Amino acid sequence: MSNNSTFSSPAFAKRLARRHAAERRFKLIGLGAIVLSLAFLALLLFIMMHNGLGGLNWNFLSGSDSTDPHTAGIWSAAKGSILTMLVTLLLSFPMGVLAAIYLEEFAPRSRWIELVEVSINNLAAVPSIIFGLLGLAVFINTLNLPRSSPLVGGLTLALMTMPVIVISGRNAIKAVPPSIRDAALAVGASKVQAVFHHVLPLALPGILTGTIIGMARALGETAPLLMIGMRAFIVTPPGGVTDPSSVLPMQIFLWSDEIDKAFVQNTSAAIIVLLVFLLVMNGLAIYLRNKFEVRW
Amino acid sequence: MILSGVLLAVIGLGLVGWFAARGRARLLYTGRGSMHSMPGYHGWHMALWILVPALLAWSAWSMIMPGLVDGAVMADPAAVQLPAGDMHRAAVLADARNLAANPDAVAFDPLAEELAKPMRAAQGRFSAIGALLVLIVALAGGGYGFTRVRAGFPARTHVERAILALLLIASLMAILTTFGIVASLLFEAGLFFKDVSPIAFLTGTHWAPGNARGVDIDGNFGAVPLFWGTIYIGAIIAMIVAIPLGLMSAIYLTQYASSTIRKWVKPILEILAGIPTVVYGYFAALTVAPLIRDTAASLGVANPSTESALAAGLVMGVMIIPFVSSMADDALAAVPRAMSDGSLALGATRSETIKKVLLPAALPGIVAGVMLAISRAIGETMIVVMAAGASARLSANPLASMTTVTYQIVQMLTGDQEFNSPKTLSAFALGLVLFIVTLILNIIALRVVKRFREAYE
Repeated sequence: MSNNSTFSSPAFAKRLARRHAAERRFKLIGLGAIVLSLAFLALLLFIMMHNGLGGLNWNFLSGSDSTDPHTAGIWSAAKGSILTMLVTLLLSFPMGVLAAIYLEEFAPRSRWIELVEVSINNLAAVPSIIFGLLGLAVFINTLNLPRSSPLVGGLTLALMTMPVIVISGRNAIKAVPPSIRDAALAVGASKVQAVFHHVLPLALPGILTGTIIGMARALGETAPLLMIGMRAFIVTPPGGVTDPSSVLPMQIFLWSDEIDKAFVQNTSAAIIVLLVFLLVMNGLAIYLRNKFEVRW
Repeated sequence: MILSGVLLAVIGLGLVGWFAARGRARLLYTGRGSMHSMPGYHGWHMALWILVPALLAWSAWSMIMPGLVDGAVMADPAAVQLPAGDMHRAAVLADARNLAANPDAVAFDPLAEELAKPMRAAQGRFSAIGALLVLIVALAGGGYGFTRVRAGFPARTHVERAILALLLIASLMAILTTFGIVASLLFEAGLFFKDVSPIAFLTGTHWAPGNARGVDIDGNFGAVPLFWGTIYIGAIIAMIVAIPLGLMSAIYLTQYASSTIRKWVKPILEILAGIPTVVYGYFAALTVAPLIRDTAASLGVANPSTESALAAGLVMGVMIIPFVSSMADDALAAVPRAMSDGSLALGATRSETIKKVLLPAALPGIVAGVMLAISRAIGETMIVVMAAGASARLSANPLASMTTVTYQIVQMLTGDQEFNSPKTLSAFALGLVLFIVTLILNIIALRVVKRFREAYE
């Protein structure tokens, strides 16, 4: 009886209502945080579209940089980006995959291997501008490779991307169940054969997903390339990986510095192009993950 | 160049060797168990014997050839007129080299034109010798490899050993990169600290590298205003934005949202992390900074500047939201379900459970996540380059223009000044400080995360 009166007393009802109101408030704050973050994203995209869509035409996509905003285009920068990404991919993908295989499948437990693991985890978190300083000191000042070339840019970004590929590669390899290895070993395959013929193909979709995400990050990177001098005014598209060149994000940065208001349209249009590239790459990564993901 | 042509020849030889050894191994095959290794492995074994020594010889020769060529040119009668000074002589030789490679090039020195001819002759001679040498090494390696094609020869074991060596080299790249970063930063920063005392650099409050000359050099390289700007923008303003928004969205997504909403909202939120920083920087400079300036002006602030710490920090905070959110997500997910179930069973509401049980239990993980977020924010470059400004000042006014470590690194290295001035070298000293600070933050955070996970396992 006394219990009943406690739960039905007006004081209790009041307290309960207050607690429920606090609950609703808290939930609303959470929702608000998400809405606010998404609103910021929407605003950013809207402003870039609003400023840039008018500038997207064939001349813009096929032209090169120019001091006149109306004839300036992004093809030279885009070609520089493609060459740089090619160098990055050719170096970081094999290196990253091989290192991931070694660390996950063959490495003995030793001090050295621990050092490798620690340095990979730390490299993944080193600020990108530090990689630029490394590129400047080693590739340009010590090895005398050509300044502002896609070769040096690609090398620098490859060092930055490799840890990302190693980490995602290791996770993908780890996800392949041991029974696959055991089965291969049981029918007489060597350890190397088991890994390269059976584990690697099964882990490949996961590795590719990680690689694409790493490459997307490298494509949008500006700061390290600033260090190695890829901020030149480039009028002709680079013919090879040793020619001076610019890249898409650098072109955005250079145009954003122009005083002429007409460059606002160019900058925004270039941003749209870059974002479309990134969206396609990330979409591809998600598609790969969903299509080939196997739940063991 | 003959020397690059020979590279193709060596690869061709390797291919031929692969087929030859495999074909011979196939002939040896007489039935099950008659051979140790499959024919393909004999092919690879042979190809490796051709390629590896030849490529080593090729790279060794490419390294020593310039010295040999210069030596031959110096022996030329025309070289008697070469200036005695090392620097000048090297410049003329470089000119001649340029001319030899490209006859249309313009030489700065008439002597270089005279030397171009012997230079070209010497280059031709030495690359022919090198090419021959490489070919001999390739053929010798191939010959040796071919003699090993026998039924009992464990070609597979040898090839697999080579593969393991390759794997090991690839994983050592990570150490090499770390070593390269540390060595180059230490070396260049060491040159800088020869001119400027480290104590003046770390404790001085006046940063004006532009007029750093002579005796008062120490007084103009005080980096404290840069450290303050970095902390103020990256660790204070950005975190005031990112922590509440990131944490609350993680709480909402994990505790309240239906799985359909979570499935859609989470990837969209992560787009924020995938947008290149240069885009954020442009957005900050184009939209956010003027907005803040106008708002400040309408509130009665006198002469607010276009570039403000607030604009850069705000945009940086938004960029970090998904990072904080996913770290908080992991930390909340690591708390055993029994704990929140217990709290709910006692009659606590969901928000009370979150505030009194979940958050305290997940706190170490969340703090570690925030530390990682700070390390990311202080290393961020493009946003501050485009929106924060260049004036090094110690001020707590968020509307003031403020500069950061990363901004100054970019500033010091993108001009046209000579490389070894204290001004450019200061960038490496700043880089060293940044590297050490982010490293410490990361190591502590990773250790906290690890211990935190173990606590609930």
